Amino acid sequence: MSNNRLLVIVAPLLFLTLLLLPRPVLCQESANCLACHSAMKGRIKTASGALVELNVDAEKFNASMHGSLSCSDCHIRFSDNPHTTPSSGVPQTVLSLSTRISSKFKIDPVAGAACITCHEETYKKVLESVHGKNIVDKHQPDGALCLDCHGSPHYIKPAKDEDSPVGRKHQVETCGKCHGNEKIIEKYKLEENVMESFQESFHGRKLFLGHTKAPACSNCHNAHDIRSKNDPESPVFGKNKLVTCGKCHKGANEKFVPAITHKRPGPIPHYGEKLLIILTIGVFAFIVIHVLLEAFSDIRDAIFRKKEEEE
Amino acid sequence: MNEATTATQEVPAEIERFDIIFRIQHVVMFTTFLLLSFTGWGIKYAHAPHGLSSIWIRVWGGADMAGLIHRIAGVAMLLDFIFHVIYLGYLFATKKMTINLKTTVIPLPKDIFDVVQNFMYFLGLSKKKPRFGKFSYAQKFDYWAVFWGMFIIGFSGFALAFPMLVSYIIPQIASEWIWQLLWLMHSDEALLAIVFILFWHFYNEHLKPEVFPMSWIWITGRISTEKLKHHHPIEYEHLFPEAAKKNKKH
Repeated sequence: MSNNRLLVIVAPLLFLTLLLLPRPVLCQESANCLACHSAMKGRIKTASGALVELNVDAEKFNASMHGSLSCSDCHIRFSDNPHTTPSSGVPQTVLSLSTRISSKFKIDPVAGAACITCHEETYKKVLESVHGKNIVDKHQPDGALCLDCHGSPHYIKPAKDEDSPVGRKHQVETCGKCHGNEKIIEKYKLEENVMESFQESFHGRKLFLGHTKAPACSNCHNAHDIRSKNDPESPVFGKNKLVTCGKCHKGANEKFVPAITHKRPGPIPHYGEKLLIILTIGVFAFIVIHVLLEAFSDIRDAIFRKKEEEE
Repeated sequence: MNEATTATQEVPAEIERFDIIFRIQHVVMFTTFLLLSFTGWGIKYAHAPHGLSSIWIRVWGGADMAGLIHRIAGVAMLLDFIFHVIYLGYLFATKKMTINLKTTVIPLPKDIFDVVQNFMYFLGLSKKKPRFGKFSYAQKFDYWAVFWGMFIIGFSGFALAFPMLVSYIIPQIASEWIWQLLWLMHSDEALLAIVFILFWHFYNEHLKPEVFPMSWIWITGRISTEKLKHHHPIEYEHLFPEAAKKNKKH
Protein backbone atom coordinates (compact mmCIF):
# COMPACT_ATOMS: atom_id res chain seq x y z
CA MET A 1 0.00 0.00 0.00
CA SER A 2 1.45 3.30 -1.01
CA ASN A 3 1.88 6.10 1.50
CA ASN A 4 -0.66 8.20 -0.33
CA ARG A 5 -3.38 5.63 -0.11
CA LEU A 6 -2.66 5.10 3.53
CA LEU A 7 -3.10 8.79 4.10
CA VAL A 8 -6.42 8.82 2.26
CA ILE A 9 -7.74 6.16 4.58
CA VAL A 10 -6.17 7.27 7.81
CA ALA A 11 -6.67 11.03 7.56
CA PRO A 12 -10.49 10.98 7.60
CA LEU A 13 -10.42 8.41 10.37
CA LEU A 14 -8.13 10.62 12.40
CA PHE A 15 -10.30 13.59 11.69
CA LEU A 16 -13.43 11.74 12.79
CA THR A 17 -11.71 10.56 15.94
CA LEU A 18 -10.82 14.16 16.71
CA LEU A 19 -14.43 15.17 16.22
CA LEU A 20 -15.63 12.47 18.55
CA LEU A 21 -13.11 13.26 21.27
CA PRO A 22 -14.76 14.61 24.40
CA ARG A 23 -13.92 18.08 25.69
CA PRO A 24 -10.37 18.36 26.95
CA VAL A 25 -10.39 16.55 30.22
CA LEU A 26 -9.13 18.03 33.44
CA CYS A 27 -5.44 18.65 33.49
CA GLN A 28 -3.41 16.39 35.71
CA GLU A 29 -3.00 18.95 38.49
CA SER A 30 -6.69 19.83 38.70
CA ALA A 31 -7.46 16.12 38.78
CA ASN A 32 -5.14 15.73 41.73
CA CYS A 33 -6.77 18.55 43.68
CA LEU A 34 -10.27 17.49 42.80
CA ALA A 35 -9.61 13.94 43.89
CA CYS A 36 -10.10 15.29 47.39
CA HIS A 37 -12.02 18.52 46.89
CA SER A 38 -14.80 17.04 44.80
CA ALA A 39 -15.50 14.59 47.62
CA MET A 40 -15.10 17.03 50.52
CA LYS A 41 -18.15 18.67 51.93
CA GLY A 42 -18.75 21.66 54.17
CA ARG A 43 -16.75 24.66 55.18
CA ILE A 44 -13.85 25.26 57.51
CA LYS A 45 -12.74 28.31 59.37
CA THR A 46 -9.30 29.68 58.62
CA ALA A 47 -7.02 31.25 61.21
CA SER A 48 -8.22 34.70 60.05
CA GLY A 49 -11.79 33.69 60.78
CA ALA A 50 -13.02 33.36 57.20
CA LEU A 51 -15.08 30.40 56.10
CA VAL A 52 -13.74 28.38 53.19
CA GLU A 53 -16.00 26.25 51.06
CA LEU A 54 -14.15 23.03 50.56
CA ASN A 55 -16.21 21.38 47.90
CA VAL A 56 -15.55 21.91 44.22
CA ASP A 57 -17.97 20.11 41.96
CA ALA A 58 -15.63 18.44 39.47
CA GLU A 59 -18.27 17.98 36.80
CA LYS A 60 -19.50 21.54 36.90
CA PHE A 61 -15.96 22.85 37.03
CA ASN A 62 -14.99 20.80 34.01
CA ALA A 63 -17.99 22.11 32.08
CA SER A 64 -17.30 25.71 33.03
CA MET A 65 -15.38 28.29 31.02
CA HIS A 66 -12.45 27.75 33.36
CA GLY A 67 -12.52 23.95 33.18
CA SER A 68 -9.29 23.75 31.25
CA LEU A 69 -7.32 25.82 33.74
CA SER A 70 -5.28 24.18 36.41
CA CYS A 71 -5.97 25.10 40.03
CA SER A 72 -2.65 26.81 40.58
CA ASP A 73 -3.21 29.11 37.61
CA CYS A 74 -5.32 31.14 40.01
CA HIS A 75 -4.43 29.71 43.41
CA ILE A 76 -0.81 30.67 42.83
CA ARG A 77 0.00 30.83 46.48
CA PHE A 78 -1.66 29.64 49.63
CA SER A 79 -1.19 31.86 52.59
CA ASP A 80 -2.81 29.87 55.30
CA ASN A 81 -3.62 26.25 54.67
CA PRO A 82 -2.45 22.71 54.73
CA HIS A 83 -1.00 22.85 51.20
CA THR A 84 2.36 24.49 51.79
CA THR A 85 3.65 24.21 48.26
CA PRO A 86 3.84 27.54 46.51
CA SER A 87 4.40 26.23 43.04
CA SER A 88 5.98 29.34 41.64
CA GLY A 89 6.54 32.97 42.39
CA VAL A 90 3.53 35.24 42.16
CA PRO A 91 3.81 37.73 39.27
CA GLN A 92 4.32 41.29 40.46
CA THR A 93 1.12 42.61 38.90
CA VAL A 94 -0.98 39.97 40.60
CA LEU A 95 0.78 40.43 43.89
CA SER A 96 0.36 44.19 44.04
CA LEU A 97 -3.24 43.92 42.92
CA SER A 98 -3.92 41.35 45.60
CA THR A 99 -2.95 43.81 48.32
CA ARG A 100 -5.25 46.46 46.84
CA ILE A 101 -8.27 44.18 46.81
CA SER A 102 -7.55 42.45 50.09
CA SER A 103 -10.62 43.97 51.74
CA LYS A 104 -12.71 41.73 49.50
CA PHE A 105 -10.75 38.50 49.84
CA LYS A 106 -10.16 37.30 53.35
CA ILE A 107 -9.06 33.87 52.17
CA ASP A 108 -7.02 34.10 49.00
CA PRO A 109 -6.54 37.61 47.61
CA VAL A 110 -3.94 36.34 45.17
CA ALA A 111 -6.51 34.09 43.52
CA GLY A 112 -8.88 37.04 43.40
CA ALA A 113 -6.23 39.10 41.69
CA ALA A 114 -5.16 36.30 39.38
CA CYS A 115 -8.10 36.98 37.06
CA ILE A 116 -6.01 39.83 35.69
CA THR A 117 -3.56 37.36 34.15
CA CYS A 118 -6.07 36.50 31.44
CA HIS A 119 -8.66 39.30 31.75
CA GLU A 120 -6.26 42.21 31.95
CA GLU A 121 -8.22 44.82 30.07
CA THR A 122 -11.50 43.95 31.74
CA TYR A 123 -9.99 43.93 35.20
CA LYS A 124 -8.42 47.34 34.65
CA LYS A 125 -11.79 48.70 33.60
CA VAL A 126 -13.33 47.33 36.76
CA LEU A 127 -10.63 48.91 38.93
CA GLU A 128 -11.39 52.27 37.33
CA SER A 129 -15.13 51.80 37.76
CA VAL A 130 -17.26 52.91 40.67
CA HIS A 131 -17.37 49.31 41.88
CA GLY A 132 -13.60 48.89 41.66
CA LYS A 133 -12.73 52.19 43.31
CA ASN A 134 -14.99 51.37 46.19
CA ILE A 135 -12.79 48.40 46.97
CA VAL A 136 -9.38 49.67 45.95
CA ASP A 137 -9.66 53.18 47.37
CA LYS A 138 -12.22 52.84 50.13
CA HIS A 139 -11.38 49.23 51.08
CA GLN A 140 -15.01 48.27 51.51
CA PRO A 141 -15.68 44.58 52.07
CA ASP A 142 -19.20 44.63 50.65
CA GLY A 143 -18.61 46.23 47.26
CA ALA A 144 -18.88 44.31 44.03
CA LEU A 145 -15.91 42.67 42.38
CA CYS A 146 -15.66 39.84 39.83
CA LEU A 147 -17.26 37.05 41.84
CA ASP A 148 -20.14 39.09 43.21
CA CYS A 149 -21.60 39.33 39.74
CA HIS A 150 -20.14 36.32 37.97
CA GLY A 151 -20.58 33.81 40.75
CA SER A 152 -18.05 31.19 41.71
CA PRO A 153 -14.94 31.26 39.51
CA HIS A 154 -15.10 27.47 39.40
CA TYR A 155 -18.42 27.42 37.58
CA ILE A 156 -18.22 30.45 35.29
CA LYS A 157 -20.59 30.21 32.35
CA PRO A 158 -20.58 32.23 29.16
CA ALA A 159 -22.79 35.30 29.48
CA LYS A 160 -25.00 33.90 26.73
CA ASP A 161 -25.84 30.88 28.87
CA GLU A 162 -29.30 30.98 30.43
CA ASP A 163 -27.91 30.19 33.85
CA SER A 164 -25.21 32.83 33.83
CA PRO A 165 -25.83 35.35 36.60
CA VAL A 166 -24.80 38.16 34.25
CA GLY A 167 -26.82 36.88 31.27
CA ARG A 168 -30.04 38.48 30.13
CA LYS A 169 -32.18 36.19 32.23
CA HIS A 170 -30.54 36.72 35.61
CA GLN A 171 -28.64 39.97 35.28
CA VAL A 172 -31.31 42.13 36.89
CA GLU A 173 -31.57 39.96 39.98
CA THR A 174 -27.78 39.83 40.20
CA CYS A 175 -27.52 43.63 40.24
CA GLY A 176 -30.50 43.67 42.58
CA LYS A 177 -28.58 41.73 45.21
CA CYS A 178 -27.01 45.07 46.10
CA HIS A 179 -29.14 47.68 44.33
CA GLY A 180 -32.30 46.27 45.83
CA ASN A 181 -30.72 45.81 49.26
CA GLU A 182 -31.84 48.50 51.68
CA LYS A 183 -28.72 48.38 53.82
CA ILE A 184 -26.41 48.80 50.84
CA ILE A 185 -28.61 51.50 49.34
CA GLU A 186 -28.53 53.43 52.59
CA LYS A 187 -24.82 52.94 53.15
CA TYR A 188 -23.76 54.10 49.70
CA LYS A 189 -26.65 56.53 49.17
CA LEU A 190 -27.72 54.74 46.00
CA GLU A 191 -30.80 55.58 43.95
CA GLU A 192 -33.44 53.74 45.93
CA ASN A 193 -36.17 52.90 43.48
CA VAL A 194 -33.97 51.21 40.91
CA MET A 195 -35.30 47.67 40.95
CA GLU A 196 -38.98 48.56 41.21
CA SER A 197 -38.82 51.21 38.52
CA PHE A 198 -37.01 48.89 36.15
CA GLN A 199 -39.50 46.09 36.67
CA GLU A 200 -42.36 48.50 36.12
CA SER A 201 -40.80 50.01 33.01
CA PHE A 202 -41.39 48.84 29.46
CA HIS A 203 -37.78 47.68 29.35
CA GLY A 204 -38.16 45.54 32.45
CA ARG A 205 -41.47 44.05 31.43
CA LYS A 206 -40.27 43.17 27.96
CA LEU A 207 -37.03 41.70 29.23
CA PHE A 208 -38.98 39.59 31.68
CA LEU A 209 -41.29 38.36 28.92
CA GLY A 210 -38.30 37.34 26.81
CA HIS A 211 -38.19 40.19 24.32
CA THR A 212 -34.95 39.74 22.42
CA LYS A 213 -34.10 43.42 22.18
CA ALA A 214 -35.16 44.69 25.59
CA PRO A 215 -32.19 46.00 27.55
CA ALA A 216 -30.93 44.69 30.86
CA CYS A 217 -28.95 46.86 33.31
CA SER A 218 -25.62 46.65 31.52
CA ASN A 219 -27.03 47.75 28.16
CA CYS A 220 -27.43 51.28 29.47
CA HIS A 221 -25.08 51.42 32.44
CA ASN A 222 -22.18 49.35 31.02
CA ALA A 223 -20.84 46.30 32.73
CA HIS A 224 -17.23 46.40 33.85
CA ASP A 225 -16.67 50.14 33.44
CA ILE A 226 -19.76 51.06 35.38
CA ARG A 227 -19.82 54.58 36.77
CA SER A 228 -21.87 56.67 39.12
CA LYS A 229 -24.71 58.51 37.42
CA ASN A 230 -22.99 61.71 38.61
CA ASP A 231 -19.76 60.84 36.80
CA PRO A 232 -19.54 62.83 33.56
CA GLU A 233 -18.20 59.72 31.86
CA SER A 234 -21.21 57.64 32.82
CA PRO A 235 -23.34 56.62 29.83
CA VAL A 236 -26.41 57.83 31.69
CA PHE A 237 -24.94 61.20 32.69
CA GLY A 238 -26.63 64.23 31.15
CA LYS A 239 -26.25 64.36 27.42
CA ASN A 240 -24.48 61.01 27.24
CA LYS A 241 -27.99 59.58 27.40
CA LEU A 242 -28.58 60.76 23.85
CA VAL A 243 -25.87 58.36 22.68
CA THR A 244 -26.82 55.57 25.06
CA CYS A 245 -30.54 55.62 24.25
CA GLY A 246 -29.62 56.17 20.61
CA LYS A 247 -28.00 52.73 20.48
CA CYS A 248 -31.51 51.29 20.16
CA HIS A 249 -33.72 54.33 19.62
CA LYS A 250 -32.29 55.98 16.55
CA GLY A 251 -32.57 59.74 16.72
CA ALA A 252 -33.10 59.87 20.48
CA ASN A 253 -33.47 63.52 21.44
CA GLU A 254 -33.62 65.50 24.65
CA LYS A 255 -37.36 65.25 24.91
CA PHE A 256 -37.28 61.51 24.41
CA VAL A 257 -34.61 60.43 26.87
CA PRO A 258 -36.49 61.37 30.07
CA ALA A 259 -38.98 58.62 29.14
CA ILE A 260 -36.94 56.06 31.07
CA THR A 261 -35.77 56.95 34.54
CA HIS A 262 -35.37 55.22 37.87
CA LYS A 263 -36.88 58.16 39.70
CA ARG A 264 -40.28 57.83 41.30
CA PRO A 265 -43.11 59.33 39.27
CA GLY A 266 -43.54 63.06 39.78
CA PRO A 267 -46.74 64.65 41.11
CA ILE A 268 -48.47 64.89 37.73
CA PRO A 269 -48.27 61.21 36.77
CA HIS A 270 -48.83 60.25 40.41
CA TYR A 271 -52.06 62.20 40.88
CA GLY A 272 -53.00 61.62 37.26
CA GLU A 273 -52.99 57.92 37.96
CA LYS A 274 -55.02 58.38 41.14
CA LEU A 275 -57.64 60.23 39.09
CA LEU A 276 -57.71 57.50 36.48
CA ILE A 277 -58.08 54.86 39.16
CA ILE A 278 -61.02 56.75 40.69
CA LEU A 279 -62.57 57.00 37.24
CA THR A 280 -62.03 53.31 36.59
CA ILE A 281 -63.49 52.26 39.92
CA GLY A 282 -66.40 54.65 39.48
CA VAL A 283 -67.29 53.36 36.03
CA PHE A 284 -66.74 49.81 37.14
CA ALA A 285 -69.05 50.24 40.13
CA PHE A 286 -71.73 51.81 37.96
CA ILE A 287 -71.71 49.15 35.27
CA VAL A 288 -71.53 46.21 37.65
CA ILE A 289 -74.40 47.52 39.76
CA HIS A 290 -76.39 48.35 36.66
CA VAL A 291 -75.84 44.96 35.06
CA LEU A 292 -76.64 43.05 38.25
CA LEU A 293 -79.79 45.05 38.98
CA GLU A 294 -80.95 44.68 35.41
CA ALA A 295 -80.35 40.94 35.47
CA PHE A 296 -82.30 40.60 38.72
CA SER A 297 -85.14 42.69 37.42
CA ASP A 298 -85.26 40.56 34.26
CA ILE A 299 -85.51 37.46 36.40
CA ARG A 300 -88.17 39.11 38.55
CA ASP A 301 -90.16 40.07 35.47
CA ALA A 302 -89.88 36.59 34.02
CA ILE A 303 -91.24 35.00 37.17
CA PHE A 304 -93.70 37.47 38.66
CA ARG A 305 -94.75 39.83 35.93
CA LYS A 306 -95.27 37.48 33.05
CA LYS A 307 -98.91 38.47 32.69
CA GLU A 308 -98.21 42.14 32.48
CA GLU A 309 -95.76 41.50 29.66
CA GLU A 310 -98.38 39.68 27.64
CA GLU A 311 -100.93 42.46 27.88
CA MET B 1 -87.07 61.25 7.73
CA ASN B 2 -90.20 63.21 7.07
CA GLU B 3 -92.73 63.69 9.87
CA ALA B 4 -95.58 64.17 7.40
CA THR B 5 -95.77 60.63 6.15
CA THR B 6 -98.99 59.56 4.53
CA ALA B 7 -101.69 57.74 6.41
CA THR B 8 -101.25 54.67 4.26
CA GLN B 9 -97.70 54.19 5.46
CA GLU B 10 -96.64 50.58 5.29
CA VAL B 11 -94.70 49.23 8.24
CA PRO B 12 -91.95 46.91 6.94
CA ALA B 13 -91.01 43.75 8.80
CA GLU B 14 -87.57 45.11 9.53
CA ILE B 15 -85.50 48.23 9.02
CA GLU B 16 -81.81 48.90 8.56
CA ARG B 17 -80.16 50.05 11.72
CA PHE B 18 -76.48 50.07 10.67
CA ASP B 19 -75.31 50.20 7.08
CA ILE B 20 -72.60 47.89 5.76
CA ILE B 21 -69.87 50.52 6.23
CA PHE B 22 -70.68 50.88 9.92
CA ARG B 23 -70.78 47.12 10.29
CA ILE B 24 -67.32 46.76 8.75
CA GLN B 25 -66.01 49.46 11.07
CA HIS B 26 -67.41 47.49 13.98
CA VAL B 27 -65.73 44.26 12.85
CA VAL B 28 -62.38 46.00 12.47
CA MET B 29 -62.89 47.64 15.84
CA PHE B 30 -63.57 44.46 17.78
CA THR B 31 -60.96 42.38 15.98
CA THR B 32 -58.24 44.90 16.76
CA PHE B 33 -59.67 45.39 20.24
CA LEU B 34 -59.34 41.70 21.02
CA LEU B 35 -55.82 41.51 19.61
CA LEU B 36 -54.79 44.59 21.57
CA SER B 37 -56.35 43.30 24.77
CA PHE B 38 -54.79 39.88 24.52
CA THR B 39 -51.28 41.11 23.74
CA GLY B 40 -51.49 44.13 26.04
CA TRP B 41 -52.66 42.06 28.98
CA GLY B 42 -49.39 40.13 28.88
CA ILE B 43 -47.23 43.21 29.30
CA LYS B 44 -49.54 44.94 31.78
CA TYR B 45 -49.27 41.95 34.08
CA ALA B 46 -45.77 40.92 32.96
CA HIS B 47 -44.80 40.00 36.51
CA ALA B 48 -47.83 37.82 37.16
CA PRO B 49 -46.99 34.89 39.44
CA HIS B 50 -45.63 31.61 38.08
CA GLY B 51 -44.50 33.28 34.84
CA LEU B 52 -48.08 33.05 33.59
CA SER B 53 -47.65 36.09 31.42
CA SER B 54 -44.51 34.70 29.83
CA ILE B 55 -46.46 31.60 28.88
CA TRP B 56 -49.35 33.71 27.62
CA ILE B 57 -47.01 35.88 25.54
CA ARG B 58 -45.44 32.76 24.06
CA VAL B 59 -48.90 31.86 22.74
CA TRP B 60 -48.68 35.06 20.71
CA GLY B 61 -45.30 34.16 19.26
CA GLY B 62 -43.06 35.68 21.91
CA ALA B 63 -42.61 39.21 23.17
CA ASP B 64 -41.24 40.55 19.87
CA MET B 65 -44.18 39.21 17.88
CA ALA B 66 -46.73 40.23 20.49
CA GLY B 67 -45.32 43.75 20.35
CA LEU B 68 -45.58 43.80 16.58
CA ILE B 69 -49.17 42.51 16.66
CA HIS B 70 -50.04 45.14 19.25
CA ARG B 71 -48.62 47.94 17.13
CA ILE B 72 -50.25 46.79 13.89
CA ALA B 73 -53.61 46.27 15.57
CA GLY B 74 -53.28 49.64 17.29
CA VAL B 75 -52.61 51.49 14.06
CA ALA B 76 -55.46 49.63 12.38
CA MET B 77 -57.83 50.60 15.16
CA LEU B 78 -56.78 54.25 15.00
CA LEU B 79 -57.31 54.24 11.24
CA ASP B 80 -60.70 52.64 11.77
CA PHE B 81 -61.59 55.40 14.22
CA ILE B 82 -60.39 58.15 11.92
CA PHE B 83 -62.33 56.56 9.07
CA HIS B 84 -65.43 56.49 11.25
CA VAL B 85 -65.17 60.22 11.93
CA ILE B 86 -64.57 60.97 8.25
CA TYR B 87 -67.52 58.78 7.28
CA LEU B 88 -69.75 60.61 9.75
CA GLY B 89 -68.56 63.88 8.25
CA TYR B 90 -69.45 62.59 4.80
CA LEU B 91 -72.93 61.49 5.94
CA PHE B 92 -73.60 64.89 7.46
CA ALA B 93 -72.18 66.79 4.50
CA THR B 94 -74.40 64.90 2.07
CA LYS B 95 -77.40 65.21 4.44
CA LYS B 96 -77.69 61.43 4.58
CA MET B 97 -77.61 61.85 8.30
CA THR B 98 -79.09 64.71 10.25
CA ILE B 99 -79.18 65.37 13.93
CA ASN B 100 -82.59 64.55 15.37
CA LEU B 101 -83.16 64.39 19.10
CA LYS B 102 -85.11 61.15 18.72
CA THR B 103 -82.45 59.29 16.80
CA THR B 104 -79.22 60.93 17.81
CA VAL B 105 -76.43 59.19 19.67
CA ILE B 106 -75.46 62.48 21.31
CA PRO B 107 -76.05 62.34 25.07
CA LEU B 108 -79.04 64.43 26.16
CA PRO B 109 -80.50 65.39 29.56
CA LYS B 110 -83.20 62.81 28.88
CA ASP B 111 -80.60 60.09 29.21
CA ILE B 112 -79.99 61.03 32.83
CA PHE B 113 -83.71 60.77 33.53
CA ASP B 114 -83.76 57.45 31.70
CA VAL B 115 -80.99 56.14 33.96
CA VAL B 116 -82.93 57.22 37.06
CA GLN B 117 -86.15 55.77 35.65
CA ASN B 118 -84.45 52.51 34.81
CA PHE B 119 -82.95 52.17 38.28
CA MET B 120 -86.38 52.85 39.76
CA TYR B 121 -87.73 50.09 37.58
CA PHE B 122 -84.93 47.70 38.56
CA LEU B 123 -85.62 48.37 42.23
CA GLY B 124 -89.35 47.96 41.83
CA LEU B 125 -90.05 51.59 42.67
CA SER B 126 -91.70 52.19 39.34
CA LYS B 127 -93.53 49.93 36.93
CA LYS B 128 -92.66 51.99 33.89
CA LYS B 129 -89.57 51.26 31.86
CA PRO B 130 -87.88 54.27 30.30
CA ARG B 131 -88.74 54.74 26.63
CA PHE B 132 -85.73 55.00 24.38
CA GLY B 133 -85.05 56.63 21.05
CA LYS B 134 -82.78 55.04 18.48
CA PHE B 135 -80.06 54.75 21.07
CA SER B 136 -80.71 53.98 24.71
CA TYR B 137 -78.40 55.54 27.26
CA ALA B 138 -76.66 52.18 27.55
CA GLN B 139 -75.91 52.22 23.84
CA LYS B 140 -74.81 55.85 23.93
CA PHE B 141 -72.50 54.99 26.80
CA ASP B 142 -71.13 52.09 24.78
CA TYR B 143 -70.56 54.33 21.78
CA TRP B 144 -68.91 57.24 23.55
CA ALA B 145 -66.76 54.97 25.66
CA VAL B 146 -64.98 54.09 22.42
CA PHE B 147 -64.39 57.78 21.74
CA TRP B 148 -62.99 58.24 25.22
CA GLY B 149 -60.85 55.16 24.72
CA MET B 150 -59.60 56.32 21.35
CA PHE B 151 -58.57 59.70 22.71
CA ILE B 152 -56.96 58.43 25.88
CA ILE B 153 -55.67 54.98 24.92
CA GLY B 154 -55.34 55.53 21.20
CA PHE B 155 -53.30 58.67 21.29
CA SER B 156 -51.18 57.63 24.26
CA GLY B 157 -50.59 54.33 22.49
CA PHE B 158 -49.54 56.11 19.35
CA ALA B 159 -47.10 58.21 21.38
CA LEU B 160 -45.68 55.11 23.03
CA ALA B 161 -45.37 53.19 19.78
CA PHE B 162 -43.73 56.07 17.91
CA PRO B 163 -42.03 58.02 20.68
CA MET B 164 -39.43 59.60 18.44
CA LEU B 165 -42.05 61.07 16.17
CA VAL B 166 -44.11 62.35 19.06
CA SER B 167 -41.10 63.69 20.97
CA TYR B 168 -40.82 66.51 18.46
CA ILE B 169 -44.26 67.86 19.24
CA ILE B 170 -44.29 67.60 23.02
CA PRO B 171 -43.20 70.73 24.89
CA GLN B 172 -39.85 70.68 26.67
CA ILE B 173 -41.33 71.22 30.14
CA ALA B 174 -43.67 68.26 29.74
CA SER B 175 -40.96 65.83 28.68
CA GLU B 176 -40.04 65.05 32.29
CA TRP B 177 -43.39 63.57 33.19
CA ILE B 178 -45.42 63.11 30.05
CA TRP B 179 -44.04 59.67 29.16
CA GLN B 180 -44.90 58.26 32.51
CA LEU B 181 -48.35 59.84 32.34
CA LEU B 182 -48.91 58.47 28.84
CA TRP B 183 -47.93 55.03 29.98
CA LEU B 184 -50.19 55.13 33.02
CA MET B 185 -53.05 56.47 30.92
CA HIS B 186 -52.59 53.78 28.33
CA SER B 187 -52.39 50.97 30.84
CA ASP B 188 -55.12 52.06 33.26
CA GLU B 189 -57.64 53.09 30.65
CA ALA B 190 -57.00 49.91 28.69
CA LEU B 191 -57.99 47.96 31.75
CA LEU B 192 -61.09 50.12 32.06
CA ALA B 193 -61.91 49.46 28.42
CA ILE B 194 -61.55 45.70 28.85
CA VAL B 195 -63.66 45.70 31.99
CA PHE B 196 -66.22 47.89 30.26
CA ILE B 197 -66.50 45.60 27.27
CA LEU B 198 -66.56 42.48 29.41
CA PHE B 199 -69.37 43.69 31.64
CA TRP B 200 -71.30 46.37 29.84
CA HIS B 201 -71.08 45.43 26.21
CA PHE B 202 -71.11 41.69 26.82
CA TYR B 203 -74.12 41.86 29.08
CA ASN B 204 -76.13 44.21 26.93
CA GLU B 205 -75.35 42.66 23.57
CA HIS B 206 -74.65 39.02 24.42
CA LEU B 207 -75.78 37.77 27.79
CA LYS B 208 -79.09 39.54 28.25
CA PRO B 209 -81.82 36.90 28.01
CA GLU B 210 -83.53 38.67 25.13
CA VAL B 211 -80.38 38.80 22.95
CA PHE B 212 -78.48 35.70 24.04
CA PRO B 213 -76.15 34.46 22.54
CA MET B 214 -75.77 37.79 20.78
CA SER B 215 -77.61 40.53 19.02
CA TRP B 216 -77.32 39.70 15.34
CA ILE B 217 -77.55 43.31 14.23
CA TRP B 218 -73.76 43.45 13.93
CA ILE B 219 -73.99 41.03 10.96
CA THR B 220 -77.39 41.73 9.42
CA GLY B 221 -77.54 45.41 10.29
CA ARG B 222 -81.29 45.01 10.49
CA ILE B 223 -83.76 45.12 13.34
CA SER B 224 -87.32 43.85 13.19
CA THR B 225 -89.93 46.54 13.63
CA GLU B 226 -91.42 44.40 16.39
CA LYS B 227 -88.18 44.71 18.35
CA LEU B 228 -87.86 48.31 17.38
CA LYS B 229 -91.29 49.05 18.83
CA HIS B 230 -90.35 47.31 22.01
CA HIS B 231 -86.81 48.56 22.59
CA HIS B 232 -86.80 51.88 20.77
CA PRO B 233 -90.40 53.10 20.98
CA ILE B 234 -89.54 56.75 20.40
CA GLU B 235 -87.69 55.89 17.19
CA TYR B 236 -90.58 53.65 16.12
CA GLU B 237 -93.08 56.43 16.62
CA HIS B 238 -90.78 58.76 14.80
CA LEU B 239 -90.47 56.44 11.81
CA PHE B 240 -94.02 55.17 11.68
CA PRO B 241 -96.22 57.77 13.33
CA GLU B 242 -99.42 56.49 11.73
CA ALA B 243 -98.91 52.91 12.77
CA ALA B 244 -97.96 54.04 16.25
CA LYS B 245 -101.13 56.11 16.58
CA LYS B 246 -103.25 53.19 15.45
CA ASN B 247 -101.62 50.94 18.00
CA LYS B 248 -102.36 53.40 20.74
CA LYS B 249 -106.02 53.56 19.82
CA HIS B 250 -106.34 49.79 20.08
